[in-house]
Amino acid sequence: MPITVLQPQPAAKRQAAAMSVDSDSDSDSGGGAEVHGEDILTPGTVITSNSQWMRGHGTYVQPGETAITSSLAGTLTKTNKLLSVRPLRARYTPEIGDLVVGRIVEVQAKRWRVDVAASQLAILQISAINLPGGILRKRTETDELQIRSFFAEGDLVVAEVQQLHQDGAASLHTRSLKYGKLRNGVFVSVSGIGGGSGVVRAKRQVWTMDVANAGGKVDVLLGVNGYIWISKHIESDTNAEAVGINRMEESVSSKVYSSQNDPLELSTMREIARIRSVILALVENRLKVDEDMVTKGYSEAVELGRESPDDDLYLGGEKGQRLAAALTGH
Amino acid sequence: MPLDTSTYSLALLRVDGRRWNELRRLHAQIRTQDAADGSSYLEMGHTKVMCIVTGPSEQQQQRRGQTSQRDAAAINVNVVIAGFSSVDRKKSGRNDKRIQEIEVTIANALASNLHTHLFPHSSITISLHVLSQDGSLLAALLNATTLALIDAGIPMTDYIAACTAGSTSTYAAGDDSADPLLDLNNQEEQELPFLTVATLGDSDRIAVLVCESRVQVTRLEGMLVVGVDGCKQVKQFLDQVVREKGAEMVREGAVEKSDAMGMVLDE
Repeated sequence: MPITVLQPQPAAKRQAAAMSVDSDSDSDSGGGAEVHGEDILTPGTVITSNSQWMRGHGTYVQPGETAITSSLAGTLTKTNKLLSVRPLRARYTPEIGDLVVGRIVEVQAKRWRVDVAASQLAILQISAINLPGGILRKRTETDELQIRSFFAEGDLVVAEVQQLHQDGAASLHTRSLKYGKLRNGVFVSVSGIGGGSGVVRAKRQVWTMDVANAGGKVDVLLGVNGYIWISKHIESDTNAEAVGINRMEESVSSKVYSSQNDPLELSTMREIARIRSVILALVENRLKVDEDMVTKGYSEAVELGRESPDDDLYLGGEKGQRLAAALTGH
Repeated sequence: MPLDTSTYSLALLRVDGRRWNELRRLHAQIRTQDAADGSSYLEMGHTKVMCIVTGPSEQQQQRRGQTSQRDAAAINVNVVIAGFSSVDRKKSGRNDKRIQEIEVTIANALASNLHTHLFPHSSITISLHVLSQDGSLLAALLNATTLALIDAGIPMTDYIAACTAGSTSTYAAGDDSADPLLDLNNQEEQELPFLTVATLGDSDRIAVLVCESRVQVTRLEGMLVVGVDGCKQVKQFLDQVVREKGAEMVREGAVEKSDAMGMVLDE
């Protein structure tokens, strides 16, 4: 008697991501783009074969063909006739005018190389910083010789993207009193663009907030590249208007390149740590990190802290979810 | 021994109960490590691998051996096979030739697929960890790498989807028409000649083809056809994983919705 084997019955759907492709049923994907509101493009998807469109970032045209194809997983952006794909998540790509926090990784003869979480290191020329000793002066050989006295390896700087080079590398500058070396605080790194968490470009990236529990004032600096600096707010001792705009640089530059922290009170340190927990909780719960969310989240966190007898600063896990729920209103 | 070919010819069922053209259970997750640029976890049956992508980033101190001072990103692949991953605990040396060959194969396949010219002076590091092995190791590693690279947002031409194919026919029996097998497990890999094949997306373009066993050239075509067909099924699965993650992120408001519909563009 011959043995017969019946067609196996399809198993019950285990999980959402479980295999659901049958060996003989092929979903039709030969036609043009099937982009719907919630759908996304994946690498290799043909966006359009119409030649009136131009290809932008995240797309490519196979040599010998005219069809614009996606090279990323993401959503489509249309700017006039330019089609580009916004990735779900990617590394930071510098744009002119971005406020970034970076770490010096290399000191060269006339410039520093700065890690700004991009695909390449950024460049900070010695001519693009405020040199000590007064008004905008030319750099001299003495400055070049003591280049490490301004920034050394491992120092954190806040700077602005001045220009972009052909290969995508960025040049930074710190020619403003807002920029320069960072001290008296703590560094936090969140992921790059996309992914729903991390820093978003906003009207204000830097602000000073009054903190609870007699902590004084705290500066929060959200670098567009996802590097964040939270520090004690230092009042400049000379009145800016009294000194005049040109002399201002002279009065502060002596302190600008110091690597020595000022004395910090324990209460300030605790509040800085609390802001850091808030930012990490925002990221963990996939919320955007901007001024509004951080300030709101901070006041919620102060309330949460009062619940525990020793004012717990930790906001991971369940406490973080409560914080996120309070912020999103669910 | 483990796979008695006579049993197969009777019931046409393999040791684990599959038919000749069936894949094992596939399961994959994307974005498993928050701190990494891109990450994935993939299971093909009992073969379980994890992938982490770092980069594209510029190393401050370039190690001398690596050539990343070019106009395109360098691709570095590291494969670590956990000691507990197979039945017998083997301590693999630092420069195990088999692992090195897997690394080179993956790096070469990616070099032609990724758009590395967009990232000069930088390097992309891919760390692969094998947690459990039960055959089709190279295929699982390639699939996990594809997912992690998509998660990292690195532009690529198309998916690289891989699977294995083997042949049951024996020369002695003279059964040239015997079935080729798809997606071999460890037992079958020990017994039968097999090859690993990877294709680009939905096309028939082959990105990787590795065959380490002796096989008659007449069997090769059948194995290849079955393998390519399996790759298409794997690609469908990978695409589904990415799309589900993407749709989830759009729903959460993490990414903005697409601007235009496909219909509008083709007008």
